[in-house]
Amino acid sequence: MLLRNVFTKTIRDLRWPTFWVSLGCGAMTAYFALLFPTYSKLFDLNSILEKMGPAVKLLGASMGDASTLVGFLHIELFSMILPAAIAAFAAGVASGFTAGEESRGTIDILLSYPVSRRRLVLQKWLAMVLACVVVVLVLWAFAITGAALSASVLPPDKLAAALVMLVLLGLAFGDIALAISAFTGNRGAAIGVTVALMVAMYLVDALSSIVDGLGVIRPLSLFRYYMGGDPLRAGLNLGDAAVLAAVAAVFLAIAVLAFERRDLAA
Amino acid sequence: MPGELSLYSELTGRQLLTYLGNLQGQVDAAYREKLIERLELDPTRRIKSLSRGNKQKVGLVAAFMIRPELLIFDEPTAGLDPFVQLEFEHLCEEAREEGRTVFISSHQLPEVEHLCDRVGIIREGRLLAVETISALKERALRRLEIDFVGPVGAEEFSGLPGVRDLVVNDGTLRCTVMGSVDALIKTAARFEIHNIRSIDTSLEEIFMAYYGSGEAVDDNSAEDASHAAA
Repeated sequence: MLLRNVFTKTIRDLRWPTFWVSLGCGAMTAYFALLFPTYSKLFDLNSILEKMGPAVKLLGASMGDASTLVGFLHIELFSMILPAAIAAFAAGVASGFTAGEESRGTIDILLSYPVSRRRLVLQKWLAMVLACVVVVLVLWAFAITGAALSASVLPPDKLAAALVMLVLLGLAFGDIALAISAFTGNRGAAIGVTVALMVAMYLVDALSSIVDGLGVIRPLSLFRYYMGGDPLRAGLNLGDAAVLAAVAAVFLAIAVLAFERRDLAA
Repeated sequence: MPGELSLYSELTGRQLLTYLGNLQGQVDAAYREKLIERLELDPTRRIKSLSRGNKQKVGLVAAFMIRPELLIFDEPTAGLDPFVQLEFEHLCEEAREEGRTVFISSHQLPEVEHLCDRVGIIREGRLLAVETISALKERALRRLEIDFVGPVGAEEFSGLPGVRDLVVNDGTLRCTVMGSVDALIKTAARFEIHNIRSIDTSLEEIFMAYYGSGEAVDDNSAEDASHAAA
């Protein structure tokens, strides 16, 4: 029964959003994996990328070798679309956890039961982690199936490493949104600031290979750690993963403390 | 239970009560079902499709089903039909009999007067008085009307202690008395009396006396505690 506690209730709340995001990301990945052989026969993707020059680097093609499925997926999906999707998904749901209960007024009745504010935030957070994991598991299965059907090479372990980084990136942005919403009680502000931050970090990372001066602030961008170690080819870089996990942990702690101390507007 | 009750609108009444019961720990499901029946709540409908009164019923079941030692209600009967109001009163009385305490914050003074043992009057955040209803009435103004058989003069009564707003008209005396009516009755007894009416002061009049007549009382409310132990 999904009405046992705040964790299971949140899973219940997230079941449809998770289903659709999983399906969307999974189908998109399967589509690219399936069509890769056709694409690579029709176009010489590398020469197209070459011609586009610096502009294409904005799309994350800086380490692009589009002649393999791994490189193709990296350019088409893992550099921009998938991180944007999972970060927006995580930030979207996390921003509604406490702020949503506050704006609906349900926080009144929820906190009148023996549920501490800390447990409330942590149980909802745990549900978000599960939702993100479900999304990448579906994605993994779709991608592996698509690659197998098109007889392309896609190492399952390397794909898994990239998806671990994807989850950690999603959690980092989700926790940032959670912290802002716990601090302000304002869902719109939480989504807005997080998305703005995400865009800024993406641009810093993508442009740093073109614009020299940006290299200095590149370590501040979470995207630097997300694909910086090239997990689709090199596997999991524990250092990069630790940075993302640490950022997520810090913002989760901020969210808990902020929500515990704030005078809730109910 | 808050006055502005916000519930998870996507759940049905029973789902919500199940969730809240699980958060609480242990809930007597049979008692919950009995409450649903007594308040005539349809637990299969989604909260968002319920009227204000029906949402209020969900809140009442949620409050009573865990049998708490202390129940705090803000405007509990707003939006309830008279039948459910009566059932709510029964539930409060049962709670009192079991030795539990009910706090009610309400603008419905007749309800407070009817239901509560002790009343606190709050004005601008300050507690002006906490009294039992009877003590509050004891100290309050009493309206008296005396019909005399023959004509009487107002001057006979005007100087009596505690007598106010004295009007004598066609052998009928009307006044308000603060405190004891002894002097008034003894003076009146010298004349032949046809009838005496004592108009019981409602809590509303006491309340208005505390607030001063005609002042805005919007944000204030009377608050009650019904104490089994008291």
